[in-house]
Amino acid sequence: MAETSNQNKEDTLFFICFDRQSATPKLCGLGLCSDEFWNGVFGASFLEYLKNRLLYMAGTDEVNFNESQRVVPLNTWILISYFKLAYKLLRCPDGTFDRHLAEFLDRKVPANANPVDGTFSFDIIIDQRTNLLIRIYRSAKAEEMQLPTIAELVKPLSSSFVPVILFFHGGSFVHSSADSAIYDTLCRRLVRICNAVVVSVDYRRAPESRYPCAYDDGWAALKWVSSRPWLQSKDSRVHIYLAGDSSGGNIVHNVALRAVDSDIDILGNILLNSMFGGQQRTESENRLDGKYFATLRDRDWYWRAFLPEGENRDHPACNPFGPRSESLKGVKFPKSLVVVAGLDLIQDWQLAYVEGLKKAGQNVKLLYLEQATIGFYLLPNNDHFYTVMDEINNFINSNYPKRQRSDQRLSYA
Amino acid sequence: MLYLLLKADRKTMKREHQETANHPLTGGGGGGGGEGCSSRSKTWKEDQGDGGMDELLEGLGYKVKSSDMADVAQKLEQLEMAIGTFQEGQISHLFCETVHYNPSDIYGWVDSMLSELNPSQTFDPNGSFYPIRNSILGQQPSMNSSARNSLIYDDNSEYDLSVIPGFALKMPSEWTFDLQREGTSKRMKHDAPQISTSPVNSAAKLRSLPEATRPLLMVDSEEAGVRLVHILMACAEAVQNEDLKLADALVMQIRLLAVSQAGAMRKVAIYFAEAIARRIHKIYPQQSSIDSFYSDTLQMHFYETCPYLQFAHFTANHAILEAFSDAPRVHVIDFSMSLGMQWPALMQALALRPGGPPAFRLTGIGPPQPDNTDALEQVGWKLAQLAGTIGVEFHYRGFVCDSLADLEPSMLDIRPSAMETLAVNSICELHRLLARQGAIDKVLSNLKVMKPKIVTIVEQEAKHNGPVFLDRFNEALHYYSTLFDSLDGCWLTQSNSQDLAMSEVYLGRQICNVVACEGPERVERHETLAQWRERMESSGFDPVHLGSNAFKQASMLLDIFSGGDGYRVEENNGCLMLGWHSRPLIATSAWRIASR
Repeated sequence: MAETSNQNKEDTLFFICFDRQSATPKLCGLGLCSDEFWNGVFGASFLEYLKNRLLYMAGTDEVNFNESQRVVPLNTWILISYFKLAYKLLRCPDGTFDRHLAEFLDRKVPANANPVDGTFSFDIIIDQRTNLLIRIYRSAKAEEMQLPTIAELVKPLSSSFVPVILFFHGGSFVHSSADSAIYDTLCRRLVRICNAVVVSVDYRRAPESRYPCAYDDGWAALKWVSSRPWLQSKDSRVHIYLAGDSSGGNIVHNVALRAVDSDIDILGNILLNSMFGGQQRTESENRLDGKYFATLRDRDWYWRAFLPEGENRDHPACNPFGPRSESLKGVKFPKSLVVVAGLDLIQDWQLAYVEGLKKAGQNVKLLYLEQATIGFYLLPNNDHFYTVMDEINNFINSNYPKRQRSDQRLSYA
Repeated sequence: MLYLLLKADRKTMKREHQETANHPLTGGGGGGGGEGCSSRSKTWKEDQGDGGMDELLEGLGYKVKSSDMADVAQKLEQLEMAIGTFQEGQISHLFCETVHYNPSDIYGWVDSMLSELNPSQTFDPNGSFYPIRNSILGQQPSMNSSARNSLIYDDNSEYDLSVIPGFALKMPSEWTFDLQREGTSKRMKHDAPQISTSPVNSAAKLRSLPEATRPLLMVDSEEAGVRLVHILMACAEAVQNEDLKLADALVMQIRLLAVSQAGAMRKVAIYFAEAIARRIHKIYPQQSSIDSFYSDTLQMHFYETCPYLQFAHFTANHAILEAFSDAPRVHVIDFSMSLGMQWPALMQALALRPGGPPAFRLTGIGPPQPDNTDALEQVGWKLAQLAGTIGVEFHYRGFVCDSLADLEPSMLDIRPSAMETLAVNSICELHRLLARQGAIDKVLSNLKVMKPKIVTIVEQEAKHNGPVFLDRFNEALHYYSTLFDSLDGCWLTQSNSQDLAMSEVYLGRQICNVVACEGPERVERHETLAQWRERMESSGFDPVHLGSNAFKQASMLLDIFSGGDGYRVEENNGCLMLGWHSRPLIATSAWRIASR
């Protein structure tokens, strides 16, 4: 049982009122309060911090809430705001992470071998040492509509060319899983829209598993996928595309890098709001810090959690075209589709990535969505979603002679 | 000391949001405001009779009523502003003792978070709030006296169970400031209707795909493993088509091929092949009374080897302890007494209760024993000895019956709920009742007569009770393959090979029953959480949610469990499930009689 502290006459109830009308903070209390008293309790610097914080909020945050609400649909705003707040609870300043609470809060869905809207899924542990799990999504053909047995799950693909998308979910290297509902849903959409097989990788996460574990897992999954006879197209090759959002986009780049000297052919990289950074602060980071869900502080935390201890953000994993990276000139690197959201605070790094690829003579297409925020692709309730899905579809399927593509918008959702 | 609160001007915010709520795009249907989505997206069902959830969010596992969206947005803003005044390090401290419930309900979550920051605020009845919660902001010395007196604190970390010796309890961390927690936990009475659970959850139940889901997890193995499965399926199909000669021939092939296999797949194939052989030749395993003693022993080995039963006991006990709270006299009726392994931990936790342990009465129910040895009584004696050493007043009664449906509430000496708090516990037992017409309904209506404060139910998470043999076979093959895979990990880490071998026999007997038997003989009629949920709810029970504290502690239990790498705890609409990787295998749910 706690004990009461010294009962001072000045131990009164204090609170800070934020008066929206006058947009100024007021220190109030039931009883006296003086700056001296506050100093004595919190220390002068914290008191200063409080005041500054409130002034900052008075001036800017009020505008921010409404602004971010204006650019995304309400349900998207709720979803991403909820993530933002819940994630804040999980991050500790010493770099530790409340993994158990994170798993409790995360909404997951099981694999489902029964087709739903024409797509079914199943999980495979492809490496028992590291417990590496992948989730495979396939289209159910008409004749397969009765429950497929295990043998049928790995039946060879029936069409001549079927792209296999190796997908890496986002979460800043720390959050989410292959079976998180938001990503299971996204993968199912990719199957339908691109008429592809999607393989989602449940890579190891920081801070428990730092660099390069996620890349190792990606590489292991790539090797596994490329060696499945039943994933081959008519030309006896597996047609592999790498795709990922946020940290997944970063993994796409790094896995492709690792594959450069191998005999594994990657036909394309798709990076959605991918997570890059650097030691220097860029203009977009300063301008957009805290404005549209993400803050520099949380970005920094995630890099500290993922990168090796003692490293800074110019580590090549974080900054692929930074001062410590090797050139990609003359390297056989896959063509890339890079999607950048105009309201993402790290866009300058993403644009630098595109520039870096161009300078190295690589094939890259930039899709810049001015009014998009992070997470816009999680719900099909905005134009950007459809634009991006179309682009991804074209990026993949324009390689092939006329394939049956679902053009109807209705089937995208 | 001090109490810090950031308040927004509520009136202004409310007005702003009322405007957005009435806006044609943001109000009502789940379309959301802002950019164009109406023409593109399919027609949103404006008025869904099941509670009007935003469809898109629901597809991602979050339940928010369309009509609540603006409110939720406002509260999220409030929460952001409130925690925005704290530095990063303080935030996790602020909420480190908070117990979260029902993570799908964003409204409830943000409401309870706001209440944590401001306990003097009146509780919003729409929140999914729950009994034990801590306020984190220290004392309020000059609050008016009535507020102060309502602050009764029980640090719920003292309810933590020591299921396995050496299980380290996570103690609340130190505060960085000098704030002292007086422990300002308000107790919500269990009688308060859990508004968030009734319309919200039943809506989700209708909408989700419980019946149609077939979770599938495989371990990448050699080609021969897949071939083995292929032949097993062909064999089952032959049985389904009553082509017994073919089935017999395939059984031989399976046995031959299995020899060349390694690991889990071999064992699984052998058990299934044997079960099919028994079915073909109608050599059913005897359900004699010798069985039950042997069963108990096998179950004990299974309990030692892998965490499923330990998880079951742990989570059920957690729910029971929360329900008992500070009741002075408690009674547990255990439908699945067996060797009573669940109860030492509960008794220890009761012994450590602040304010002292209650008087604890235990009624153990079990099947008849061979040669009239009274195993139930013996278990009772052992527990009584334990009770003596830890200082818990203990009374015990054992009941022998063939079926739970044979019990009448009058036999069980149930005392009025004002005098004694009752919990009924059933671990992997209720599914047996499904083998007899009307049995489960009788037992559930008996439960309602007994008026328990809580009913804890643990069941295997599997569809082993469908009408078609082939489907059951398929489901069982996947389920037990996954179970055996998880045991496989244990072979490498545990030295007690006898335990492991016995565990496999334990599971093998279940396989045999599912595959070889029919009618009343087939008692391993496992059904999924979704199926049990529907049955309980339509029988007049409401769910009692298990929260993040139970989840965390169960997860921590697994962390220290050797070979525990692949095990995973999952939260599912207030219930907890334990699985191997992404495949849930066992589920714990808690219930109380619906307040109608």
